[in-house]
Amino acid sequence: MNLPNKVMTLEEAISKYVHDGDTIAFGGFVTNKKPYAAVREIIRQGKKNLYVEGGPAGGDVDMLIGAGCVKVLFNSYMANSGYTQVSRRFRKAIEEGTILWEDYSLDIQPILYHAAALGFPFIAVKNMLGSDLVNKWGIPEEVWQNDPKLPPRKLIVDRNPFNPDEQVCLLPTPKIDVAIIHVQKAAPDGTARIEGPVFVDIDIAMGATNCIITCEELVHPDELRREPWLNQIPNLVPDAVVHVPFGAHPSQCTNYYDYDGLFFRMYDQVSGDDELFKQFLDEWVYGIKDQNEYIDKLGASRLTNLRVRPGYGYVPGLKRR
Amino acid sequence: MMAIALARQIKDGMTCIIGTGLPLIGAALAKNTTAPNAVLIFETGMIDGAPQEVPTSVSDLRIAYKASALWPQYRYFGFESNAWKKNKIDLGFLGGAQIDPYGNLNSTCIGDYHHPKTRFTGSGGANGIATYVNTVIMMQHQKRRFCEKVDYITSPGWIDGPDGRKKMGLPEVGPQAVVTELGIMRFDEKTRRMYLAEYFPGITPQQIQENTGFELDLSRAVEAEPPSKEILEILTKKVDPQRLMI
Repeated sequence: MNLPNKVMTLEEAISKYVHDGDTIAFGGFVTNKKPYAAVREIIRQGKKNLYVEGGPAGGDVDMLIGAGCVKVLFNSYMANSGYTQVSRRFRKAIEEGTILWEDYSLDIQPILYHAAALGFPFIAVKNMLGSDLVNKWGIPEEVWQNDPKLPPRKLIVDRNPFNPDEQVCLLPTPKIDVAIIHVQKAAPDGTARIEGPVFVDIDIAMGATNCIITCEELVHPDELRREPWLNQIPNLVPDAVVHVPFGAHPSQCTNYYDYDGLFFRMYDQVSGDDELFKQFLDEWVYGIKDQNEYIDKLGASRLTNLRVRPGYGYVPGLKRR
Repeated sequence: MMAIALARQIKDGMTCIIGTGLPLIGAALAKNTTAPNAVLIFETGMIDGAPQEVPTSVSDLRIAYKASALWPQYRYFGFESNAWKKNKIDLGFLGGAQIDPYGNLNSTCIGDYHHPKTRFTGSGGANGIATYVNTVIMMQHQKRRFCEKVDYITSPGWIDGPDGRKKMGLPEVGPQAVVTELGIMRFDEKTRRMYLAEYFPGITPQQIQENTGFELDLSRAVEAEPPSKEILEILTKKVDPQRLMI
């Protein structure tokens, strides 16, 4: 078999596939398997005017907003739960009106991504009916109508054509330019294996025009093709495979590491203050060349302490505060 | 007391959807005490785990411990949206910043939506839970949080009374109880308006009315049973020794 080789550096992958004004979706969930290394690289490269499908977002998208990369956010939830009740850069941006945003239910975004993966034009659901998620739109109607990146409306409430007694909420499927997900194992050809919860990762990878995969381990294709039923993403889907150990730090990564609660605490403090946040970006993003430097900065003992205990899936008794 | 009151709502063998925040600790407490056979479901798709340590979020791998399945999120959605027809889920647990007399809940913003005074996380899974299953709501009991009209309806309750949900096309489920640090409110079967059901030891019904921004029916209120020493000990020593959530 002559398999393609999609391996590249993170710098190459981001500069090749992420463009100013793109719609980007990130994998993971709040404090679990967030593609943080890729987020830092996007910030380093100074990407602008991004339309971000937040899904269940946390510090990843909060950092992007704080660094001025985001134009529009499609939100359902944003926090480093247990550490920051409401992501602080996100909150400030909305309170000061410096980004556009739209609110959805956290059930709905995964369904929209699933619809995108299936090629559906829209979905019909009962969610959001009877709430202000339907009545109050964050993005003004004229922007919905005139922005070529957006469908003409947030949603339509209508009768179910097959049962006129029933009301349904119709939502257009997002057009995602690039999906970025972090996985445990990937082969150079693009075959990928996610261990633990998959959240929305497979759907955004399939629904997007381009897909960047960052991985803990880069393995030989035979290693993954021996048990293909354990793989969720076939080699045809990703465009770039990037080897980035600890690429989800400070979030969790099943079978590899627990979340770094002390880092989340630090982020809670710095993200609440303009000057401290600027210093944080200088220290942890701009001042760092690549993931190897990031790992060196964190230090071996810190990362060793986060290694999950086999049989538990987390680190029992980990100092989390 | 709130965590304990919440844990009491989870009876052994019940199936419950648990949201972020205080519900996580109430659920972990219930699982470790009175309801070891309760099935906990999370919007992340993690189903029927047995958390041994308090999770900080609904995606914390602590809730995946001994789980029955880790579904993609869309599977959770499918299970949730069919469950009300099959009676598969007993309760969902929600938190919020504002609530009105009909249990409509705000977890999005205070003030004008476009120019908010305070912005919160957004719906999370709360809107979906409120759409499809009976709910128990966790709140801090303050006058500004219990108001006649919320600034933004994130999660629909009984809307404006008995027919409210039907008119909107929503399933015939809704909020069952509101648990605060002062007591437990329930909703009248006929009018669907909130009334005081239980007040915690050391609290009077009048105090609760004073902390509520709308008129509350106090006529049915009884004093709640105090928590046992044993439960308090499990809560502080076993469930959350690092005081992550309490």
